[in-house]
Parts: sequence; structure tokens; C-alpha cells
Amino acid sequence: MSYRQATYDEPLLREFKSGATYEIPGTVGDAGSMIPDALVRKDLNIQDVAEYDVVRHFTRLSQMNYGVDLGFYPLGSCTMKFNPKYADLISSMSQFRDSHPLADESLVQGNLRIMYELQEYLKAISDMDAVSLQPLAGAHGEFSGILIVRKYFQDRGELERRTEIIIPDSAHGTNPASAAMAGFDVVEVPSGKDGTVDVEALKGLVSEKTAAFMITNPNTLGIFEHNIGKIASIFHEKGALLYYDGANFNAIMGHTSPGLMGFDIVHFNLHKTFATPHGGGGPGSGPIAVKERLREYLPVPVVEKKGNEFHFNYSLKNTIGKVSSFHGSFGVLLRAWAYITGNGRDGLTENSSVAVLNTNYIAHKLSSVYGIPFKKQKMHELVISSASTGKRAMDIAKYVLDAGMHPPTVYFPLILKEAMMIEPTETVSRRDLDEYCRILIEGAGKDEEELHKHPTSTPVGRIDEVRAARDQKLNWRS
Amino acid sequence: MPSREEIAEMIRETGLDSLDSLFSEIPTDLRKRSLNLPEHVTEYGLIRKASQIADENKWSEFTNFMGCGSYDRIIPASVDHIISRSEFITSYTPYQPEVSQGLLQALFEYQSTICDLTEMDVTNSSMYDGVTALAEAVRMSYRVNGRKKILLPETIYDSKTAVINSYVEGLPVSIEKYRIDRKTGFIDLEDLASRVDGDTSCIVVENPNGLGVLDPNVTKVHEIKGESNLISYSDPVSLGAVLPPGKYGADISVMEGQPLGLHQNFGGPYLGIMSFRKELVRKSPGRIIGETVDVNGKRAFVMTLQTREQHIRREKAMSNICSNQALMALASLAYISILGPSGLRKAALMTIKKSGDLRNRLQKIRKDSVPVSGTLFSDVPVTVRKPESLKPALMKNRIMGGIPLADLSRSLSGEFRNTFFFSVTEKTEDSDIEKLSKVLEVVL
Repeated sequence: MSYRQATYDEPLLREFKSGATYEIPGTVGDAGSMIPDALVRKDLNIQDVAEYDVVRHFTRLSQMNYGVDLGFYPLGSCTMKFNPKYADLISSMSQFRDSHPLADESLVQGNLRIMYELQEYLKAISDMDAVSLQPLAGAHGEFSGILIVRKYFQDRGELERRTEIIIPDSAHGTNPASAAMAGFDVVEVPSGKDGTVDVEALKGLVSEKTAAFMITNPNTLGIFEHNIGKIASIFHEKGALLYYDGANFNAIMGHTSPGLMGFDIVHFNLHKTFATPHGGGGPGSGPIAVKERLREYLPVPVVEKKGNEFHFNYSLKNTIGKVSSFHGSFGVLLRAWAYITGNGRDGLTENSSVAVLNTNYIAHKLSSVYGIPFKKQKMHELVISSASTGKRAMDIAKYVLDAGMHPPTVYFPLILKEAMMIEPTETVSRRDLDEYCRILIEGAGKDEEELHKHPTSTPVGRIDEVRAARDQKLNWRS
Repeated sequence: MPSREEIAEMIRETGLDSLDSLFSEIPTDLRKRSLNLPEHVTEYGLIRKASQIADENKWSEFTNFMGCGSYDRIIPASVDHIISRSEFITSYTPYQPEVSQGLLQALFEYQSTICDLTEMDVTNSSMYDGVTALAEAVRMSYRVNGRKKILLPETIYDSKTAVINSYVEGLPVSIEKYRIDRKTGFIDLEDLASRVDGDTSCIVVENPNGLGVLDPNVTKVHEIKGESNLISYSDPVSLGAVLPPGKYGADISVMEGQPLGLHQNFGGPYLGIMSFRKELVRKSPGRIIGETVDVNGKRAFVMTLQTREQHIRREKAMSNICSNQALMALASLAYISILGPSGLRKAALMTIKKSGDLRNRLQKIRKDSVPVSGTLFSDVPVTVRKPESLKPALMKNRIMGGIPLADLSRSLSGEFRNTFFFSVTEKTEDSDIEKLSKVLEVVL
């Protein structure tokens, strides 16, 4: 192994004393005296650093950070694919980037066209009927979607009794959190022997109290819920709604869709499926789509087209209202528009095919050493267990770091011991796939004591997380 | 993507018949027959198409007086450069801290800098935008004290109330609005005090408020808030010269971070900035970075207090937030650091100065054209006598601005039906103010 991440003993910003050099133009005159006495600020103790030091500081910090542009990043459930640079270029065009959200519609027809076309794209990809681009992340889309569930039953006079949302035990943590946030009780349905929802158990849980079922398909084990048609009927017969968590959409583009599967509400993770940069944790973007009967429930505004002109419609009859300041994370929407336009029908379909192929290739390569629970065909990701090797998932993850690649998601889903969740996406070479599998197998063969020494090629070694939680040093003053 | 040949080999090696057989688990009746999208285009073709669409935007031919939640401020070139660093922008949440120290340190510095700016104890590492952060603060207050009354200023924009309403949909709480004095634009402290009782969960104050006014009465609210939480919503650039929320007893402080070096981007991505008293940390939403040491005793940073979060606590989590606005937090940190104390103070004072310049110029034309007496920060409310002529006059003279107050706060649409906002920043030129004043002279 020859990987080594750049390492600096980088001081905190406030330790630089070079003095700010940037100049804001103008003369303030007696503006200070216009501030009411009670509101005058006496001290402003923020860092005072020359611009060149600020740039050097962040450039050094950036070198101590791993990103998709540095190498393979198969973090399960996060869809860390290559972020095309044309999308960066387009989103930096001033006509887009510097436009004001409340500008007169006649002055931002280009923005509205982008939003309208993206709404149409997402409808075509999902086979749903109407889209709102407003939610700002996947979890925010979930919350918005569940607010629609709430309003829908409120309008039907059924909210009093429909208090439960059923969610598989393999679901992303955001699903139960979003359902609870919108005031519902969460009922967990177990996974069956083949890694899909246990339909018999499910039947026993569905009742008059059920408002909705939230699921991602393929599920977090990377397995397609082949009973989804049957499941949809079970819920629809009881008058309940089906919510599709779009986090795993990269498995199915052009092959199937939530609309075909019978879902009523869907969210998309544009930063995953449509390759917008993850930004070290965000911004994401989580548009939602619904079937016709829920169209009027979407958050407002939505973009509509009349003749050759685009405009915002703020008056949907049953709208849940607003879920964020303006009309969505436009800079991210624009990038997703660029990605979908660039890839087209053929490209998107092939991307999903190759993402699934890469996953199955990894499964094939690792199956001799790692336990791969559930014999089902894998879709865009797979979950392996290091329990079969006698090693901890965390130890192997740290070993992978020293090979200059990013480890899988570890200890998720929670239903599997020593889980390692691998999502290769389509943007990886066979060479990297082979190397990754080799490292995972090599790591599993090391003895435990040696594994504990890793990582050694990073600026810091293993981190004392218990101490962080105990000391609560949450800023440089504490 | 593997090459065609490699794909063929991989299919063989994996024991498959074809790429299509990878989708055999999908029942035939659920297979998608067609994807109704255009074929792919080349990068060149795509950029050409995008440029043409960008040209359909005509706003840049206009003089800009837009504000009310999104502001055209000076952004140092280095800010965009720093957040374009591929190691930052193409990374994700630092689940593997050893290989993510750069981002973790930057977010720790962001938290620290916001604490210094607001003089609050703890700052989380970002929320989606200012308004969702406010709504999360209201939820957090309910978690802290279980009380049911939420007090909002009557001048708060409807869009904020709407988002708060969405966020408290599942909670047994109710929203009540307290009075803002019409002449000064300040909180009516007597009215507010009369509404605070044992069931009050929180009082939201805005500074500047929905009339654009810097309100000295926010410093008095802690005297009447009783056991409720004081939530402040302020403009982060104003804090370069204006008293920070930590100094007037805020329990939770939230801000929209867009003015801190973020492009307006037609409304997003923006940045929700949230800080609070340290006693409230366990009830707070969002990711938090902490300082600790590695196995060799070297300083290190890591995500901490994660037991509040959805990936661990699921339905019992403090919030469902997962992806946040880390890159925007980084941008705001770079902006504050590059401006430094003198630059940030100047940006704040220039904004106050330009707001005063516009007010004075308009009051010279007609004394009561600006309906409130309080000092203004950015958003200048202007009352006109010929509202029907305003928009045509602005369009004809290529001026963007004049957002109707009645559109932002419908409950005030009676008294303020002829009031419109014209917003300024340190970027506003004296000649722009002169041009606007000449145009408004006809309708004022």
C-alpha cells in the first residue's frame, strides 16, 4: 500500500493573526450612530486573517479530505457517483446563480423553464403525475410527503383513526423519524427469510389505524421487493397510502418505477440518483411526486406552462402549504436537470444497468470470504457481513482507508450483524472494483491485533468518540 | 464505467446471461416499457442549450432592489474558489472521520465562528435554510418545555408562518401573534407581555423584523418571557455592528445564512444557522462536530452526540435531518473569515447607511413615504399613493424591486396595502438610489 493522505498540523483559524485584507467599498459616515443605543455591538471577536492565509488554510484542509474525485467511494445508500463537471459549469452561469427568488416571473423565464422541464423529467422517470421541487433534502421530502398523507386523511375525516405508519425494520432511519415528526406512530414490520418484507406479518399489522406504508425498493439490503404489487393492494384495499423512499432509485431508472409499483407518493434524492455533489453532507435536494388524486396536496408553488410561458401556481386546492423559504434548492435542481438532459433516456437506463452489474460483480467476488445473507439477486447495492470472517466491520473499514479508498457504510442496516453496505454505482472501473474486492478479502485475512492499528495513512489515527461525547468541546471557546 | 468488453466479461464471470437478466427479480408486469425522455446529448450540446435557457432570464438588465429574505451582497472571489475544491464538494457526511479531518475541522470552525458572531454557546453544523431552522427551533422549544403557545410577531412573513405551521402539524401547539407598533416598527412590549403565560413555549423575535426595522425592544423581551424560550431570527451580516442574540438573552438563535457569501441562486441552496444555550444541546436537531483526540493523543474532530439523530434513534430522534448544508456552512465560514471583524462591520454599517440614504431621499419627496421611524437594515418599506402605476413605472425603467408588503404578510394587507419593499446592500450605488427615487417620485 502506498497511499498517504496529506497531513498538516493545521492551526484553527482564530490562531492566524495576519489581519483581514479584504476591502468592502464605500464610506460608512455616521451610520454607526443610526443604530439604536440598546442595539450597539461593542465587541466583535471573530478571526482576523489575511485572505491569502484563509485560502491556504482551506486548501490544506481540503487535502485532508477524501472525495469522489479522489477515488472509489462506495458508501452504501449514499450513491456516491461521479459528479459531472458540466453541471458545475452550468450552475455557475450568473444568469442562473445570481437570480433573486422573488423576481418577476417575466424576468426569470429561463429558471422556470428549467424547473418545469425537471418536473416533467421526474414524472417520466417515476411514472407519477405531479411534482413539487420544494423539499431541500431526502428526509425533507419524506416529511413533506407524510404531511400530504396527514392532510389527505384529515380532509376525508379519517385522521383521528389513522394514526399509524408501517415501516420495514430495514428502512433508512429517516423514514421512522419523518413519520414521527409528522405526528404518526411508527409500526415496524420485520424482514422475512429472503430479506424482503414478510408479507404475512405485514397483513397482521395492517388495520383501520394504518395511514401509510413507507418503503424503499430495492430495499436497503439491495434486494428488490418482488411482492410490491401484492403489498400495494393490501394497503390500498384498506384505504391507506404507499410512500416510496427514492434513495435507491439508481437501481431502477428505465427498468421499473414507483408509479408502476403502485406508490402514491415518492421522493427523489437528486444528489444521489442525479449525481449532484454531496458537498461534505449537503446541499441535497428532495423533490416529491404524487399520483393524480394527490396533485392538489403538493406544497406550493409548482411551475406550470401556459402557451410558451412559465409561471408559478400558488393555489392548489388542498395544498399542505410551504415546507421551506422559497421554491427549492434551485442550484441543485439545475445540476440535476443538466445530468438528466446530458444522459438522456439511453444513458439513465444504462447507468442503472451498470450500477446493478457492478454490485453483482462485487457480490460474486466476495462470496467466497464474506457472508452474503439472502440468496436473492442484488440490485444497486449489497450488504455483506464480516461476522463470517471473525473480524469487526469497523476494523476492516479502517483497513480499507489505508488502501486509499472509502469503506462501505458499516453497521447499517441494523438488522444484520457486522453489516457492510457497498454501493459501487456505475462510475467505477473494473480495475477499481477488482482492487476493492482484493483489499476487503485481504483485510478479512489479517489478524485482529494488526487490524486495530489501522488507519495509519491518515492525518489522525482512530478517534476517541466517547471522549468527544463526554467533553462536549463543541467550539473553540469551550 | 467499465468498457463494453469489460461489461461483457463481467456478465460472463458473474454467471449472468445478459445485462437485462439483472432485473429478473422485477415482475414482468412492473417492468417499464418506455422512458419518455429525449436521447442523451453531448456536453457541448448541453452547455449550449443551458446557455440559451440562461439567456431567457432577463433580470440582469435591471437595477436590483430585491431583498426580503435573499440579498445581493459582495462575495469575495475566494469564497467560490474554496467551496469548489473538489475534495470538499465531492465528499459526503464524514462518517469516516480519519479521512475527513479537513471538513470536520472546517465545520468545527464554522460552529465556533457562529458562536463568536452570535455570542451563543453551541451551534450545530447547519440546517436547510433560515426558515426551516426557525421551524425546527419552535419544535425544539416544545421538546424542551412541553408548552403549547407559540408567540410570533404579527409582521413575520406568511411564508415563515406557513413553514412553522407545516413543522408543528403533528404537535398539540397553537400559534398566536403579538403586536408590532405601527409608528416605530418596534415590538409592542405591553401587548406581548399580556400574551405570555404559563403555557407559552416560545417567543420569536425578528431583528430586523418584517418591516425591515432594527428593533431595540428585542433586548427587553427576556424581562417578560418568564419560563418560555426566546428564539431570535436575525440577519447574520447585521451582527457585524448590531447587538448579537446571545447578549439579549436568546435561548435559541436562528438565521438565514445566504447573506454570508452565498449566491441568491433563485432561492437555494441556502443555509440555516442554528445556535442555542448549552443546556439545550440534548434536545437540539442536526449534526454537531466535537473536538477530541485520536489514539495517539493528537487533536481530532468527529461527529458527536449522534444519539439525538435519526440514523440511531429512528422515530425517537430529535429531528429527521440527515443531509444538511455543509458546503454552504463552509462558504459562510470562508466569507466571515475573509471579511474579518472590520469587513463584516463595514458591510453591516454600509447596509444601514444605504438604507438610510434611500429613506432620506424618499422622505425628501414626501415626508411620510416611509411608514416606520425605526432604523432600517436592507429592506426599506415605501408607501406610495399611486400603487397601480408602480409596477409599470418600474418595468419601464428597468428596476427590480417593490415587493408588496401585503404579499408577504396578508394580515397587514389592510393598513399596508400601498407599501412596497425596496432593498439595498453595500452593493447599492448612490446612482441606483437616485435613479429609483426619480422613478418613484411620480407614484409616491
